[in-house]
Amino acid sequence: MLSAIKHGNRKVLLSMFLMGLGQLLYGQIAKGIIFLLIQAMGLWFFIGFGAKAIYGFFSLGALVADPSVGLAGDNSVVMLITGIFAFIMLGLYIACYISNVKGAYNTQLREGCGLPPARFITELKDMADGGFHKSALFLPVIGVCVFNILPIVYMILIAFTDYGGDIVPPALVSWTGLSSFARIISLGQFAPTFSKILQWNALWAIMSTAINYMCGLGLALLLNKPCVKGKTFWRAFPVLAYAVPGFITLIGFKFMFSYGGPINQMITEAGGRAVGFLDLDAKWTARLIGLLVNAWIAIPSSMLLATGILSNMDNSLYESATIDGAGAWKRFKSITLPFVLFATMPVLITQFIGNFNNFGIFYFLRGGLYIDGYFLASDTDLLINWLYNLSIDNNYYSIGAAISLIIFAITSAVALAVYMLSPSYRQEEMFK
Amino acid sequence: MTKKLRIKPAATADAVITYTVLIAVSFLFLFPCLWLVLASFSGSGSIYSFSGFFPGSFSLSSFGALFTDTAMYNYPKWFMNTLFIAVMSCIIGSVLVLLTAYVMSRFKFKGRKALMRGTLVLGMYPSFMGMIAVYLLMTQFGMVNTHWGLILIYSAGAPMGYMVQKGFFDTIPYAVDEAARIDGASSLTVFLRINLPLSLPIIVYTSLSAFTWPWSDFILPKLLLKQKDLYTVAVGLMSLGETEFARFAAGSVFIGVPIVILYFCLSKFLVSGLTAGAVKG
Repeated sequence: MLSAIKHGNRKVLLSMFLMGLGQLLYGQIAKGIIFLLIQAMGLWFFIGFGAKAIYGFFSLGALVADPSVGLAGDNSVVMLITGIFAFIMLGLYIACYISNVKGAYNTQLREGCGLPPARFITELKDMADGGFHKSALFLPVIGVCVFNILPIVYMILIAFTDYGGDIVPPALVSWTGLSSFARIISLGQFAPTFSKILQWNALWAIMSTAINYMCGLGLALLLNKPCVKGKTFWRAFPVLAYAVPGFITLIGFKFMFSYGGPINQMITEAGGRAVGFLDLDAKWTARLIGLLVNAWIAIPSSMLLATGILSNMDNSLYESATIDGAGAWKRFKSITLPFVLFATMPVLITQFIGNFNNFGIFYFLRGGLYIDGYFLASDTDLLINWLYNLSIDNNYYSIGAAISLIIFAITSAVALAVYMLSPSYRQEEMFK
Repeated sequence: MTKKLRIKPAATADAVITYTVLIAVSFLFLFPCLWLVLASFSGSGSIYSFSGFFPGSFSLSSFGALFTDTAMYNYPKWFMNTLFIAVMSCIIGSVLVLLTAYVMSRFKFKGRKALMRGTLVLGMYPSFMGMIAVYLLMTQFGMVNTHWGLILIYSAGAPMGYMVQKGFFDTIPYAVDEAARIDGASSLTVFLRINLPLSLPIIVYTSLSAFTWPWSDFILPKLLLKQKDLYTVAVGLMSLGETEFARFAAGSVFIGVPIVILYFCLSKFLVSGLTAGAVKG
C-alpha cells in the first residue's frame, strides 16, 4: 500500500480518488465497474445511515421519547448496536478500497514489465485457485463477525455504560467508563456473592472435569479388556446416553428427583419422609446430584474419545513392559495415562471451560431459586447462571456485562496459556 | 503329561468383577432412558399416579394426545418447525465449517495462527451474554419470530467449532494434494474431488453435530420465538408442567428415538471424528 502511494502513476492515483477509475482506464471494464459500484454503495450507505449510526455510537442518543405527544425518542441500545455494525461495514469498505488501490498498482507493475492488464476471467479463476483460502473464508468470516464478534463487542461495551436497572429504553443510556466495575467492588451485594460463587464454580469445574475424564477413560479401558466379549453390545449403553438430547435428560432427572418423583415415592412408601433433593436448603445434595447428572451426560463422549485414542496406541510398549514385569497399575500409570493425556490436552481444556461455563445443568435442575446470603443466586449456581439471573431476569445489564468481562479475561488467559504451551499446538507440524 | 487347559482363579475373578461393573454401568445408563420410555406409555398423565418408577397402567393415549390434542400444545407443528430449522442449519452450517476447517488445515496464510488463537478465545465468551445483542440485531433485521433468523444464527456460528474438522483434515497426507496439483488441478478441484471423498467420517460427524445442536437447543429459540405456533420441540416441552409428565415423556421419546438411531448407525464415524479432533489442536 505504501509503495503504491509513493510510486503509483496517474491511474493509480485516480483509483485512490475514485475507486475503479484506474481499472477502467487500464481497460479492466468489469473490475472497474464492480469497484465503482462498491464506491457508490458505500457512499449511499454512509450518507444515508452509516454516519448517523457512528455518531449515535458516541452520543447514545439525546432525544427522550415522550409518548404523550407521540414523540419516538432515541433508543440508546439500538444505537449502540447499529453503531458497531456501521464500524464493521466501514472496515469492509476500507478493505475494498485498499484492494482497489493495490490492484491498480499491480496492473501498473505488470505494465512496467511489458505485460497486459490481467483479464477479469483470469482474475476470477485466480481467486478460486491461488486465493482459494480468501474466497472460502469470506462467508464464514462475515457470519462470525456479525453473529459472534459483534455481540461480544457489544456486551463488552455495555460494561462501560450505565445500561440496566431503571435505565432501559426509553430512558437514555450513557457512557460511564469504569463505574460498573467500581460498583461491583464497592457495593456490598456483589463482591461476597461473586467470591462465593467463584469458589464453588472452580471446585465444580475441576471435580466434574476430573470425574468425567477419569470415568470415561476407565470405562474405555474396561471395554478394551481382552476378556470382554461383545464390545459393541456393551458400548451401546453409553452411546444411548450420549445420543439423548441434553435438555430431555436434564428435565427427566429433575422429574426423577422432584417431590412427586419416583425416588421420593419409594422413600415415602418405605415409611420415610420425602426428601427435597433440589430444595432451598439442599446445598450439598443438589451439588452432588448436579455432578452425577453431568457425569451421566458427559462420560459417554469421554469414553468414545478415549476408545478412539486407545486404538491408536502402540501395543508393543505394553508387551515389553509386561515382559519387564510391570503390573497392571504400573502400566496404566506410566504408559496409558501419559499417552492419553498428551493426545487429549486440547479437548481437556475445552471440557474444562465447558464445565466452567456449564449453564444447562443447574438452570434445569434448580433454576430460578434465590437464596439468602447470595445476591440473586442460589448456592448451586455457577457464575454463568448468576450472569443469566442478573442480566436476563433482573436487568442488571451493565453489571452483568462487567462480570462476564472479568470471567472472560480469566478463563481465556488460562486457556490460551495452557493451549499455547501444550505440545499439540506447538508441534502441530510434527504429525504431518 | 497332557497339559489341561484350566482357567486360572485370578483370571476368573477378574472377569467376574469386570462383568459386574459393566452390567452396573450399563444399567445406570439404560435405566433413566427406560424409565422415560415406559412413562410415555403410561395410562394417566401425571407423575403422581406412578408407583415408584413405573406407571400403574399402560396405554398409547399419551402419544395419541400428543398428535390430536393440539389446542394447547401443538406438538406436530413444533416437530415440523424443529425439523425444518435443524435440516437447513445442518446443510448450511456443515458447508461453512468444512470450508473453514479445510482452509485452516491446508493453507499457510498470513495471520492464520492469530485467527486460530482468536477463535479459541472468542469461543470462551459465555454465549448467552451475546444473545442479548443477537436479539437486538435480529429485531433490527426484522427476523424475530422467524425460523430463518434462527437458521442464520446457527449456520453463522458453526464455523467457530472448526477445530475437530481441522484435526481430521490434518491427517490426510499432503502428498495426494501435491500429486494432483502437478497434474494441474485447481484448489477447488483438489478440495472437492480429492479431499472431500476421503473425509466421509468427518462429514458425517459434522452434519450429525450440526443437526443435533438446533434439534436440542432451547436458549436461542426461547429468546427469538415468542409465538407458541413457532416453538421448537425443546421450548415446547419445557413449557409443560408436572401434571403433563407422560406427555413430556412421549414427546421426548418421539424426538429422541430418531437421534438415537442415527447415532447408533453412525457411531463408527463418531469415534473417528472425535479422535481426529482430539489429537490435533
